[in-house]
Amino acid sequence: MTSRALAWRTVTARPARAALAITGVAVIGALLFDMLLLSRGLLVSLRDLLDAVGYDVRVVATDTLPDIGIPIAAASKLVAEISKLPEVEEVAVVRRSRVTVSVPGRAPVRAALVGVSGTADRRAWRIARGRNLSAFDGAASGPPPVVVSGDLAEALGLAPGSTVQLRGRVAGAASALPPVGFEVIGIAEFDVEAGDGFVAATTSDGFLRVQAQGESDDAEVVLVLSRDPFGAEAAAAAIKRLRPDLRAYSNEQLVDQFNRDGFAYFRQISFVLSAITLGFAFLLVATLLSVSVNQRLHEVAALRALGLTRRRIAAALVWESIWLVASGGLLSLVLGGVLALELDRILRAMPGLPERLHFFVFEPRALVLHVALLAVTALGAAVYPVWVATRLPIAATLRRETIS
Amino acid sequence: MRPLITLVCAALVTVSMAVPSAAPGAEDPSQPADVLVSRQLAAQANLRVGDIIMLSEDQNGSRPRRFRVAGVYEPTPDPMRFAAKRLEVRLHLPDLISLTADPSDPASTESVSALNLALLDADDASAVSSTIAARMPGLVVRPATRSTDEGEVFSVIDRFHRAIAIVTLLGSTAFLLALMVIRAEERRDIIGILRLVGISARSVFTEVLFEGLFIAIAGALLGVGIALLGEGLVNRFFQWRYDTNLIFVRVTSRIVFESVALAIPLGIAAGLAASWPLFRRDVVSLIRR
Repeated sequence: MTSRALAWRTVTARPARAALAITGVAVIGALLFDMLLLSRGLLVSLRDLLDAVGYDVRVVATDTLPDIGIPIAAASKLVAEISKLPEVEEVAVVRRSRVTVSVPGRAPVRAALVGVSGTADRRAWRIARGRNLSAFDGAASGPPPVVVSGDLAEALGLAPGSTVQLRGRVAGAASALPPVGFEVIGIAEFDVEAGDGFVAATTSDGFLRVQAQGESDDAEVVLVLSRDPFGAEAAAAAIKRLRPDLRAYSNEQLVDQFNRDGFAYFRQISFVLSAITLGFAFLLVATLLSVSVNQRLHEVAALRALGLTRRRIAAALVWESIWLVASGGLLSLVLGGVLALELDRILRAMPGLPERLHFFVFEPRALVLHVALLAVTALGAAVYPVWVATRLPIAATLRRETIS
Repeated sequence: MRPLITLVCAALVTVSMAVPSAAPGAEDPSQPADVLVSRQLAAQANLRVGDIIMLSEDQNGSRPRRFRVAGVYEPTPDPMRFAAKRLEVRLHLPDLISLTADPSDPASTESVSALNLALLDADDASAVSSTIAARMPGLVVRPATRSTDEGEVFSVIDRFHRAIAIVTLLGSTAFLLALMVIRAEERRDIIGILRLVGISARSVFTEVLFEGLFIAIAGALLGVGIALLGEGLVNRFFQWRYDTNLIFVRVTSRIVFESVALAIPLGIAAGLAASWPLFRRDVVSLIRR
């Protein structure tokens, strides 16, 4: 009989004990797997989101959050200046605001309103039904076009061709701004959405009409697509030289900055909990194996007396550890997947998060690391039991067993 | 050569109620105005009280002005940005305006990033916020004592921690049960002998119950001790790592109570569940005859 088969028989001889050990490893392993997903999940998700929008440089007025930041004044002039840079391929202006959306017969809902310039709509969201803003060919004197997110369309029963009333909202007070009628021309999936949940997007003209700011030329952010072969870093540097009073970041720089500042909490909790769960898994398997070996000392001595080498005894114990950890580890992937969905749902309840931003994102790297850490745990947990079993005095142990 | 310090963020500057003519820097133009620097900046730039520094609005160091370090302050810890380096300088508002004003734009001296208001009655904060917001559409006005978003963020973090605690509890329950099963198997012969010498199953059961209780209490107390030790270690490590006075972990009496209230019944239940099969067997099978 091979050491592996011997270990399997030992594990299955006590099914309750084995089941509990595997359950413990599976639950702790699931937490470890999730912490590995969390350790980089937000960064991976953020990078995907930024890249998906299609622009690789963002220009803002200050380093503060968008909701409380100072808007960029004279955005049209800035766009014209940036467009002339050789490093720049395309420029778009983005404005954001909060509105109340209403249709007759339904309760009004709150939503984020995004106003974009030019053809930025091609990149900022994907049309699921209907048309995009740049394809709108309605009369200039008619209602301006609006594209709404799927959940907003569902909440208000909207479809392409519907009309809605949008009223600008004032923080903490009833709004005196007049409602403006819009024509819904499309239902879209938004990549980067504000925290209100519901999102609507319109043209710059439509946006200014809702805000009753006919002459305003402020923008919250200016999006820039760099030109090959210069790249985003060169474009951001050129914009900084052009306008030292503004902040220009490439997607890479934004992710790096987020990794240094905003992501620190999740990186640290992931590290701390990974270390704790690994220690816990090690303790669980090492304790169970040690107790198990101590209970079976006479068996081990008898096997040695029958001629089994120390090496085979050690191999059997290592295999026993591997069986327990591998079975628990496999289960932990399934449990971890389910747990990650639930933990992600909890964390995504944070206000102001884009709809498609996730905290737990699967990467092959996380799986490889998970398997490697569990393998090290299995081997480490078997060290002490192996040491006890291989240094066992055969005759004295058998004698003690016989006397007792 | 003196280092040139660049103002990182104008929003960090406190709002002074002093009128320009009363500002320290304006009293005697030949004397540099006073500023306060954060402890972190003082350490990084090797500044001491009384040092003269140059401040400029941009990274190129254009239009620099001389200031005197009047003091070093400890920034109020902010859990929302504990990882950010607190390299800050606090100036009197007139000094900041004169430092950052655009000579070609007369209106630039009238612009500020934020205004802090001290109300006669703090309970009026919401009403005052609503009134100002209604009169000045586009202005963000919010009570300083209550930030709904921040409260919501920490409420979500709390739920996240609780979910992790539940998972840890499930894992440790499995661990505990496995240990108790092993222990019950070890005691099989002893329980059989006790039953044979005439001790009733009820008495043996009570003994197991109390043993489980003592082990659970000892385990819970040890767990609280480890948590208290971990509290100090985690706080010291992260305070050192992020150069802040923020408290990252706090073992409160409520947390201790919840942990003990969960651990003790769980320990007793695990002990009883593992030993229960032994009480259902007849004595002969317990001693393997």
